[in-house]
Amino acid sequence: MSRDGFLGEFEQMLLLAALRLGDDAYGTRLMEELDESVGRRVSRGAVYVTLNRLEEKGLLTSSSSPAEGNRGGRPRRVVTVTPEGRTELRRTRDALRTLWSGVGDALDSA
Amino acid sequence: MPASPPPPPPRLARLLLEWVLPGDARSEALLGDLHEEFVQRAARRPVRARVRYTADALDICFRHLLARRRAAHPVSRHHGSDVMDTLTRNLRYAARRLARSPFFTLVAVTSLALGIGANTAIFSLFNAVVLRDLPLEEPDRLVNLYYADLGFSHGTYSYPDFVDIRAATTDVFEAMGGMQLAITQSVAGSSVEMLTTEAVTGEYFGMLGVGAALGRLFTPDDDVAPGAHPVVILSHGYFQRRFGGDPDVLGADMRLAGRTFTVVGVVEPRFSGSLRGLSPDIYVPMSMFEVVQPGADIFDERGNHSFFPMARLRDGVELPAVEAALGRIRDDLAARHPEDWRSTADLVVVPTDDVIMNPMVDRVLLPAFVLVMGVVGLVLLIACANLASFLLTRAADRRKEIAVRLALGARRRTLVGQLLTETLLIAMVGGAAGVTLAAWSVGLLLRADLPLPLPITVDASLDGRVLGFSFVVSVLAGILFGLLPALQGTRSELASTLRDETAGSGRGGAARLRDLMVVVQVAVSVVLLVGSGLFLRSLDASRRIDPGFGSAPAAVVEVMLPSALPDPERLALFDRVTDRIAAMPSVRSVGATTNIHLDPLNTSQARIRVDGVEPPAGEDFHTIDAARVDPGFFDAAALRIVAGRALEAADGDDPVVVVNEALARRFFDGNALGRSLDVNGLEVRIVGVAATARIRQLGEEPRPFVYRNLRAAAPTYVTVLARVEAGAAGATAQAVLDEIRAVDADVLVYRSETMERHLAVMLLPRELGALVISGFAVLALLLAGIGLYGVVSYAVARRAREVGIRLSLGAESGRVVRMLTAGGMKLVAVGGVAGLGLSALLGQLLGRLLYGVDALDPVTFTVVPLTLGLVALAAAWVPARRASRVDPVVALRAE
Repeated sequence: MSRDGFLGEFEQMLLLAALRLGDDAYGTRLMEELDESVGRRVSRGAVYVTLNRLEEKGLLTSSSSPAEGNRGGRPRRVVTVTPEGRTELRRTRDALRTLWSGVGDALDSA
Repeated sequence: MPASPPPPPPRLARLLLEWVLPGDARSEALLGDLHEEFVQRAARRPVRARVRYTADALDICFRHLLARRRAAHPVSRHHGSDVMDTLTRNLRYAARRLARSPFFTLVAVTSLALGIGANTAIFSLFNAVVLRDLPLEEPDRLVNLYYADLGFSHGTYSYPDFVDIRAATTDVFEAMGGMQLAITQSVAGSSVEMLTTEAVTGEYFGMLGVGAALGRLFTPDDDVAPGAHPVVILSHGYFQRRFGGDPDVLGADMRLAGRTFTVVGVVEPRFSGSLRGLSPDIYVPMSMFEVVQPGADIFDERGNHSFFPMARLRDGVELPAVEAALGRIRDDLAARHPEDWRSTADLVVVPTDDVIMNPMVDRVLLPAFVLVMGVVGLVLLIACANLASFLLTRAADRRKEIAVRLALGARRRTLVGQLLTETLLIAMVGGAAGVTLAAWSVGLLLRADLPLPLPITVDASLDGRVLGFSFVVSVLAGILFGLLPALQGTRSELASTLRDETAGSGRGGAARLRDLMVVVQVAVSVVLLVGSGLFLRSLDASRRIDPGFGSAPAAVVEVMLPSALPDPERLALFDRVTDRIAAMPSVRSVGATTNIHLDPLNTSQARIRVDGVEPPAGEDFHTIDAARVDPGFFDAAALRIVAGRALEAADGDDPVVVVNEALARRFFDGNALGRSLDVNGLEVRIVGVAATARIRQLGEEPRPFVYRNLRAAAPTYVTVLARVEAGAAGATAQAVLDEIRAVDADVLVYRSETMERHLAVMLLPRELGALVISGFAVLALLLAGIGLYGVVSYAVARRAREVGIRLSLGAESGRVVRMLTAGGMKLVAVGGVAGLGLSALLGQLLGRLLYGVDALDPVTFTVVPLTLGLVALAAAWVPARRASRVDPVVALRAE
């Protein structure tokens, strides 16, 4: 997928968290991961809407795993980052790296 | 102990999610995530978990709808051309502004939540009791039938009368049926429960047009010879509660009152009996009535009026024709049964649609609801006044901003729209919180262990009508009370605003409006406080009434001895039961009566003749309240004998009686000892005179009463009193139950409680009334206090400059505080006087509901203004004092 824009900050965070969690990447765990690793607390609604958007863009796929635990008999939605998603992440990372290079001194001396 | 199942997530929030979300796999998974998180949280902090779940649900719905709109109209969000977009933008703007002043938002939302919550709670009860239609087929052709006599304008039929009237009215009625209530003892294994039962005629279900959820309902073929056909139908609620909705219950056996009944059907869920507020657990054929309620002689006894008849009109038949037909059969019955049909008796017909519970009850019920709705309406008014008052403050604070925006060409309509959106958002959030509060408090009330004489069940669940009501109230509150401040705040007197406001001395229209709000709030609070004071004083007066009996701790146990036993055996069984109770270590004495005083469900009367005292015109006898009692009764009930003696074991079954002082005075000029009178045709001798106890109501005039000898006729239905040591009544009531069951499992026990609780039934209406009104009055006072606090704070803020100058010129801070406080108290004084005047007028309307207290009760009219004054003083003083402490330099520089 080729786009003009780059991934939003929250989109990046969700994709990265999904990569880190692997098979365990579903709503509640994603929220916990963001909280634990970078101290960011997000609302469930934001996660839900953003995951939907990423899936519609083709950067994620999701699959239902059967109900287990106390979930009111409802399935779990595990997300997987698609190759397009990985490409987008790399593209965004590279763009940011380019911008960051050489900024370090200016930033620290300010 | 097995772990209790986790509580379900908040139902409304879950329904909202299911409604808004598309219902695909993603949404399902989201609901699962929410559920999982909720269960984890609920284990630790259940309330917080519910709040969190609801907040998440709202957030998700909002984001989802927004995302869907963006997907559908990718362009419109940049242009903002349509209404939906303006609304979304206004909402976000409003939400941001409200989040920036959390204190204001919290107070405004709480005020409204309390006001709307109170209204929703009362309305949901009103809806459940009055508005909700019974699910009947063609209800306009159904009528309720009543027997009118002896002060009962809408009484019940006797069963033999019903049979005769049914046979004589087939030309006007397509069907006539009815039911009789019973409390049935059901035994399953070791568990015993008392079931509310409707014994219904064969036509009943067909006539009402009620269907079965399972199996079948009764037909005339089920209602055959007395006792011959033991079948039972379950209410849907009982079917779910007791059998977990298992369809295999059809054909199963139930042990009811010592007989085995077969379950043949389950009634459809929407039908819960034809008497509102009394949901039966089971239905049995009328012919089985004497089986489930032994001891009642209803099939032949024309004097036993306890049957509720209804009928379905033939097509095209109007009420006058029915009345004519009933008039004919009435004359016929009166001629054939002169002993039971007095000349004043009549048959009355009322369309079922016009009846809530019973026309006699409705006459009390409706005014009570109107009164309470009025009270909560006033509470809401105060809450809205707070809202408006706060909005005026904010509008005033924003005048400069608004003036600038108007000057830059913003349209006033746009600004008013934005301000209104803010109000509506507060109203909606307040409304939602109010509905939650209402659901919670009504649930609490309905689950409370009240000493009710009957197992009253009210389904006050929040249906569409209640939610609609709350929504409309919220929106109206938002618009009505938000519009004025919004218009006021956006008046386009630009130049003057920009100039005046810097001076910080404006007391324009907004300030006057706010003052008016405080005056109204105080006046309304006074009215509510006076009402609550009068109710409390009235309750206090009722509590101080000496019922004349029951001052000693005792257990009260209502039992039914098997009527199938021959009299001597039943008497022997009665003796075994009372002996066994008397042998219990905590019991000091045991007595029994067939008609315990102050039992609203049970009265029995006797016909007496006394030589030389003329019966009422048109009668051959005097109708007097009466009971059969045993020798132990007077001591167990702590009923004092003032002359002669109580009944004694040595009396055996002699025709001797004890009368009360009221009877002695009325019929024997106070000298009743040793005299004779005729009771139900039997000559009896008076051996003792007892103090006059309250018979039917606490506030009644002394009623004559005759205590007949229990042993002269073996009792079936009897209340046993066991007088005990202090503090042992509760435990004894429970232990007596076990003792009786040990003697004979066929003895039915209808209730077993303490004397204290028995007497509490009579106070319950007053206690509930006082509790409700006082609760709302305190709420009103609190809200008015918040309003006053706001007004004074605002005045202080506006006059900070002036205060600063005064202080810097050397004014004492105490003087400044007094000056600022006095401004607020002036409003309180005006509102207080208006409120007292209004209360004096409205108090006259309460007159009939009060007991032992004057509508202009001096205590109430003194305490209320004092209380209000103190609360108001505190509310005004706190912000005033804060102002006097400011540093003059800071205050002056702030402008």
